[in-house]
Amino acid sequence: MKILNKTLRLIDWINDRAGRILSLFILVMSGLLLMEVVRRYLLNSPTVWANELSQMLFGAYVVLCGGHILASGGHVNVDILYSRLSRKTQAKLDIITSFLFFMFCVMMVVYGGSLAWESLSTFERSQSAWNPPIYPVKLTIPLGAGLLLLQGLAKLMRDILIAVNKGEDYTAVAPQEKETL
Amino acid sequence: MSIELLTILFFVSLILFLALGLPLSFVLGGVSMVFIYATWGPQAFYMVAAQTWGAMNKFTLVAVPLFIFMAMILERSGVANDLYEMMYLWFGPVRGGLAIGTVVICAIFAAMCGISGAAVVSMGTIALPSMLKRNYDKLLAVGCINSGGGWGILIPPSVIMILYALISGESVGKLFAGGVFPGLLLLVMVSTYIAVRCYFQPHLGPALAPEDRGDWGKKLKAFKAVLLPIIIVLMVLGSIIGGVTTPTEAAAMGVLGALISALVYRQLSWRVIEEAALRTLRLTGMIMWILFGAYCFSSAYHGMGAPHLIEHLMTYIPGGPWGTIVFIQIVIFILAMVLDPAGIMMITVPIFLPFVKAHGFDPLWFGILFTINMEIGYMTPPFGFNLFYLKGIVPPSISMGDIYRSVIPFTIVESTGLALVMIFPQIATWLPYKVF
Repeated sequence: MKILNKTLRLIDWINDRAGRILSLFILVMSGLLLMEVVRRYLLNSPTVWANELSQMLFGAYVVLCGGHILASGGHVNVDILYSRLSRKTQAKLDIITSFLFFMFCVMMVVYGGSLAWESLSTFERSQSAWNPPIYPVKLTIPLGAGLLLLQGLAKLMRDILIAVNKGEDYTAVAPQEKETL
Repeated sequence: MSIELLTILFFVSLILFLALGLPLSFVLGGVSMVFIYATWGPQAFYMVAAQTWGAMNKFTLVAVPLFIFMAMILERSGVANDLYEMMYLWFGPVRGGLAIGTVVICAIFAAMCGISGAAVVSMGTIALPSMLKRNYDKLLAVGCINSGGGWGILIPPSVIMILYALISGESVGKLFAGGVFPGLLLLVMVSTYIAVRCYFQPHLGPALAPEDRGDWGKKLKAFKAVLLPIIIVLMVLGSIIGGVTTPTEAAAMGVLGALISALVYRQLSWRVIEEAALRTLRLTGMIMWILFGAYCFSSAYHGMGAPHLIEHLMTYIPGGPWGTIVFIQIVIFILAMVLDPAGIMMITVPIFLPFVKAHGFDPLWFGILFTINMEIGYMTPPFGFNLFYLKGIVPPSISMGDIYRSVIPFTIVESTGLALVMIFPQIATWLPYKVF
């Protein structure tokens, strides 16, 4: 049990760190795009790489954060009925519905993986003026889905523990307030 | 199995699993996987993965986290304090003036950022206590914040419009331009409502006592509060509508503007940036994972031939083309009671847009209607996000029931606005076709 608890906490830790590091990408993206605007209009020397690089960062940014958002309870759901149930009933429901989550995730890992593998095996480039290699970004699809899958397994484990009444010691970090546009 | 039965089963399972509380992105992704597998076999999954890659590669979408980050910084920047101070001096002497000032600030905020949360939170913490202290009716005070707070997605820039542009293929700049006059219309209508109501019922929003009013020197000095917001609005909207930069680059300039504002008001610290960045990641990621799920949904929906059944069903709606438009608005409004706007958009637009186009309506105009509808959805129970934001910050003397009741008159006013834009499409479409 102790090992299990440690593993769950390790998964939390990985996704928490991943999210904190990824969140700083926004500063880099803003900086790159600002620099591009300044270079184009004030210095009259636009780059070929700034927009494309920020695009690549964006790709990694959005796909790698799935697990982090699951850990912090940020994936929006319809909780009009759900929120009225006891934690235990919620856990049981989550165990039942998790098969859809796993189908989606495993599909993303496997087919995202084959997409990335094809790209990697040819060292695919973007064919733009700058022509950077894009397989690193494609690799983030199976990696991001993998992080999400890992966090989903941790959540399933916790739900099972709660459902059989041993959950108190294994609850995750407190879910955050949901946000919207 | 027949297409009809399969389609019905598809939608029933979507609704069932949503009701069971599984997050929207996984419901869309998971249910679609099952149906894609049943109709096309596993080779179709590769296409879904390819579409995910496509979404990661849309330059317009890079604007989404930038606009969100900008709003998160502005919310903490202290700009709202000074704006409120100014509105207090200028509008305070009029009956209902503080409430009118509050919705004006909401509109200014909406013109600076592309989401709605920032205005609600700022005004809820600054304007609400001030209005209550000056004996404003609590329902009026809460209602005006609730109503103005949703304009963030209608008055450009708007993240919802960026998503609509992505799905419908319309230009972001045109949509932004299309939101300007409907936004102003709602501002004028809501302000008029407050002014008229408080004129006849002064106890709802009493004018400031003479000793609380500032002199002209103070008033003029306070006017400098609008300088920074105006610069930011001109920089961001000016460069998009003027066609100088892409929306994405304009959003990056907005981020700079927000950071400078925070710096000017001495609110900028690493902690503020770190927190804003993390909230930005969570919100952006949430939306993008819904989008990934929505791509699966759309593949399944089209792959199994579901549009046929929907097309068939849509012919039963009475009232011809206009009946269809009204019906769609009602469906969206009902969905807005239980779902997040980004999710509603990604599910319903691919389904409904073909009918809108087939009946000869302008997809641009439809996008604006959609946005106004979402905006009303923000303030109507049970799932209106503004309601929850407000519940988190109001004093204990205001109950959730008060908040619910406060939105009734404002919902009527804004629904009238929606109807006006429906009847007179030029309100939305005149500017975009003039500029572009």
